[in-house]
Amino acid sequence: MENRLRVLRAEREWSQADLAERLGVSRQTINAVETGKYDPSLPLAFQIARLFALRIEDVFYPDGKPEVRP
Amino acid sequence: MTPPASGTRRPRLLRSFLIPTAFVLAYFAARAGIESVEPRSTPALLFALLPVPAFAFFIHAYVRNVRGMDELERRIQLEALAFAFPVALLVAFTAGLLHLAGFEGEGDWDLPRLWPLLVLPYFFGLMRSRRRYV
Repeated sequence: MENRLRVLRAEREWSQADLAERLGVSRQTINAVETGKYDPSLPLAFQIARLFALRIEDVFYPDGKPEVRP
Repeated sequence: MTPPASGTRRPRLLRSFLIPTAFVLAYFAARAGIESVEPRSTPALLFALLPVPAFAFFIHAYVRNVRGMDELERRIQLEALAFAFPVALLVAFTAGLLHLAGFEGEGDWDLPRLWPLLVLPYFFGLMRSRRRYV
């Protein structure tokens, strides 16, 4: 699974540590998710999507291209 | 989702270092005590059981520590233990079988000498798992 977490975070000018603090996880977890080494649990994925006010599929998508919405 | 432990550094330090240290000290005190008393006596039995409360406290602290971790840290711990537990069993069984097979000399397969081999796989597993995710 891939994700747009790094881009979304950069748009808000948050560091990994900032995002980690907002989500209540470690900075290592954010880094592992961003680099695709770790797929977050469904609750964490929802929490991330909610934080960015997006749908979960707008943040995470299967390997390949992100979903294109009309 | 459970957020990571929000406790201060001090309790975490206590759980991470002081409690295992207490167990190790209790273990070596027990060994020294056992060697200073009559074998199979009541004092020897008490010395042999001396580390048990300290280890029970260590288990409690470890479980609390894991509960305070975030999901990735928990997965790292799980993978480390999933590797270490079977390896520790393998070491224990193999040592027992070697002992039964007559390959014994000067207490080579005694548990007091083997226990580092039971602990090392956990640290190896932890290192391996951390390298994978972090």
